[in-house]
Amino acid sequence: MKKRILIVDDSFYMRTMLKNMLTDAGYEVVGEAPNGQTALELAKETKPDLVTLDVILPDNTGLDVLKGIKKDQPDMKVVIVSAVGQEVIVNEAIENGALAYIVKPFSEEKVLETVGNALKE
Amino acid sequence: MKSREQEYKEIFIAEALEYYDALSRHISELEKAPKDEKILAEIFRLLHNLKANAKAIGFINISDVSHKLETAFGLIRNKELAFSDNVVNVLFDGIDLLGEMITNIDNPNYKETSNEVLLRNLDVIIESADGAMPTAENGPLEVTKVQREFTAKNLSLSELIYIQIKKLDHMMNLVGELIIDRDRILSISKDLDNPDLISVSSHLYRITDELQFSVMDARLVNVGSLFNKFPRIVRDIAVAENKQIHLDITGQDIQIDRNILQIITDSLLHLMRNAITHGIENPEVRTKKGKPASGNVWLSAQNDRDMVNIKLRDDGKGIDLNEIKSAIVRQNYLSADVVKDLRDNEVLSYIFEPGFSLAKEITEFSGRGVGLDVVKNAIDSIGGRVHVDSQQGKGTTFTMHLPTSIAVKGALLFEVAGGFFAIPLMHTDSVVSLPKNRLHEVGDMLVADIMNETISIVYLDELLNAPEGMMQLGNKNILKGDEQNIIIVTYNNRKLGLIVDKLLRQQDIVIKPLNKPVDNIDIYGGVTLLGTGKVCLVLDVPAITRYFIGKR
Repeated sequence: MKKRILIVDDSFYMRTMLKNMLTDAGYEVVGEAPNGQTALELAKETKPDLVTLDVILPDNTGLDVLKGIKKDQPDMKVVIVSAVGQEVIVNEAIENGALAYIVKPFSEEKVLETVGNALKE
Repeated sequence: MKSREQEYKEIFIAEALEYYDALSRHISELEKAPKDEKILAEIFRLLHNLKANAKAIGFINISDVSHKLETAFGLIRNKELAFSDNVVNVLFDGIDLLGEMITNIDNPNYKETSNEVLLRNLDVIIESADGAMPTAENGPLEVTKVQREFTAKNLSLSELIYIQIKKLDHMMNLVGELIIDRDRILSISKDLDNPDLISVSSHLYRITDELQFSVMDARLVNVGSLFNKFPRIVRDIAVAENKQIHLDITGQDIQIDRNILQIITDSLLHLMRNAITHGIENPEVRTKKGKPASGNVWLSAQNDRDMVNIKLRDDGKGIDLNEIKSAIVRQNYLSADVVKDLRDNEVLSYIFEPGFSLAKEITEFSGRGVGLDVVKNAIDSIGGRVHVDSQQGKGTTFTMHLPTSIAVKGALLFEVAGGFFAIPLMHTDSVVSLPKNRLHEVGDMLVADIMNETISIVYLDELLNAPEGMMQLGNKNILKGDEQNIIIVTYNNRKLGLIVDKLLRQQDIVIKPLNKPVDNIDIYGGVTLLGTGKVCLVLDVPAITRYFIGKR
C-alpha cells in the first residue's frame, strides 16, 4: 500500500514542490490544504498516514492545527515544514507531538528522508 | 520546452505577484489602522512565504529583501518598532521594490539601481529598534530619501493563468460542433453559387481552422511531464526486483493532448513494470548470456505525421512465443491445431486478450491480475493503437501510436448501399482492388491472399443490411460487379478486409457518440455529419475485427 500524505501549506508553490517530490517518490498525496480549517477537515476526511504542516497559516497557526489533529487522531504522524526563524514554534510543535521538522528551503533528499523516517516510527 | 524548473518558475512568479498585490493592499490598510494585529499577521505571513519560496527557487535578492521586511514587521508586531513616519515610508518602498524585482525576473536588462540605499534604510530601522523608539529628534535613524524611478506605478497582472481542464474540454466540444456547421455552410454555399456567400464561408473555414488549432494547442503538454517521473519509478522497481536498470529517455519535448497523456499514464507504468520484472533478466543470468549485467530500457516519444508514437523498448529476454501458444490453448482461447498455424504477430497479439496471463509468480510490482487488455482498452478508447514486437533473447518493444488530439480524426469516407460511412485512418492499413476470382469461399467467410497474407474479407453491404439470420458472408455470388474495392483495416496485429461499394475521400471528421438506442450496436463507434448534411456512421474497427477474428 502506498503511504498517504496530506500537505498543509499556504503557498501554492511550496505545495506543488512538496507534492511533486512526494508523488515521484511513490507516496500518494491525498490532499492539499492552504489553511488551517481545510487542513483539519481533510485530515478527518482522508485519514492520511502523515501530514506535512506549515506553521504559519492564514487562519489559525499550524500549532492549533497540530493540536486539533492530535486530539481527534493521536496516531496520525505530523512533520513540521517551516522557514528559518520559527524555532520557538517548531519546538512547541515537537512538544505537542510533531515527529520532526523540515526547514524551508528544503532539498528533496531532506524531505524524503524526514518523511520516510517519520513513517517508520 | 517546459521543464519542471520552468513550471516552478511560472508558479513562483504568479504567486509572488499575488503576494505583492496583497502586501500593497495590506500596508495601505495598516497605515489607517497601525494597531491592527490581524493585518500585521497577514503581512508577516505573506513576507514569510515570499522569503521561503524565493530562497527555494534561488532568487536570493527577493529573498533577502523579504527577509528584512519580515524582520521589520516582526518588530512592529512585537511592539519594538513603531509603524510611523519614516518607518512607514521605508516599508512602502521595500514592498514596492519587491514588486519591481518580481515583475523584472525575466528582464535581463533590469538593474536594481536604488536598492542599496533602500536596503540600508531597512537595516537602519531594524537596528534602531534595539534602542529607543526612533523619532526625528533622538533617533539614530538616518533614512535617506529614495528616489524611485517608477513614481507613476505600472499596474500589471500576471502573464499566466490557470485553466481547469474541463473548461478546455468544453471549448473543444464547441469547436467540434462549429466545424460540423462550417462544413455544412461551405457545402450550401457551393450549391447556391453565390460569390458573396462563397467568399464569407471560405473565410469562416480558415478562421474555424485556426480556432480549432488554437484550442488544440492550448491543451498540449510535453510528454516530458510524464516521462520525467520514470527515473524514480524505475529505480524503485529495480531495487525491489534486485535488478540493475539503465533508463534512457528521449523526446520529452514532444507535445500531446493533456487528456491523452493522462489516459495512457497507467498503461505506460504497467508496461514499464512488466519490462523490468518480466523482461530484464537478473544480472547473473544476463552475464551468463553475454549481455551487460545492467539491463537497458528505452522510453521515447516521436512525432509521426499527426500522431505521437511512444515506444518502450527493453533488451531483456523477450517473449517466448511457445509459452504464449501453450497459454492460448491452456486458457481455452483456441485449440492446439489452430494455434500452430498462427503467424508470429498473431500469436503475440493474444497478450492483449482479456484475462490472458503468462505470469507464474506474483511479485510486488507485477502479476496482480491486471492484464495488458487494460492497456489496450485505454489506448483504444482514445482512438490509438498499441503494437508489440519481440525477439526471444533480445528484448521487447511496445509502441503506442497515439493521436495528438482527441476531437478531430482523419478518416476514410466510403459508400455502401447509398449510405455514407467512415473508418478512422488510424485503423486503415491499405486499400486494394481485387477481381472476384481472387476471393475464395472458406466456410462461411470469404478470404483473399493479399501481399502474402491470407486475410478474411467481409462484404459490408451484407454485414450491415442483411436481415437477421439470413446473412451470407461466405457467398461471393451476391457481390456486385467484378472488381471489388477492399479497405484493409488492422487492429491488434490482425487484418480484416472490408468490401465497400465506392471509396470517397479522406477527411478530418468530428466523431460524436451515438444516441440511444443506437449505441448498443457495437459495429458503430460514432457518427458525424458531412458538409452535405448527410449522416455518416463511423465504423468501430476494434469491435468488428474482434467479432470476425473470434469467429475464425
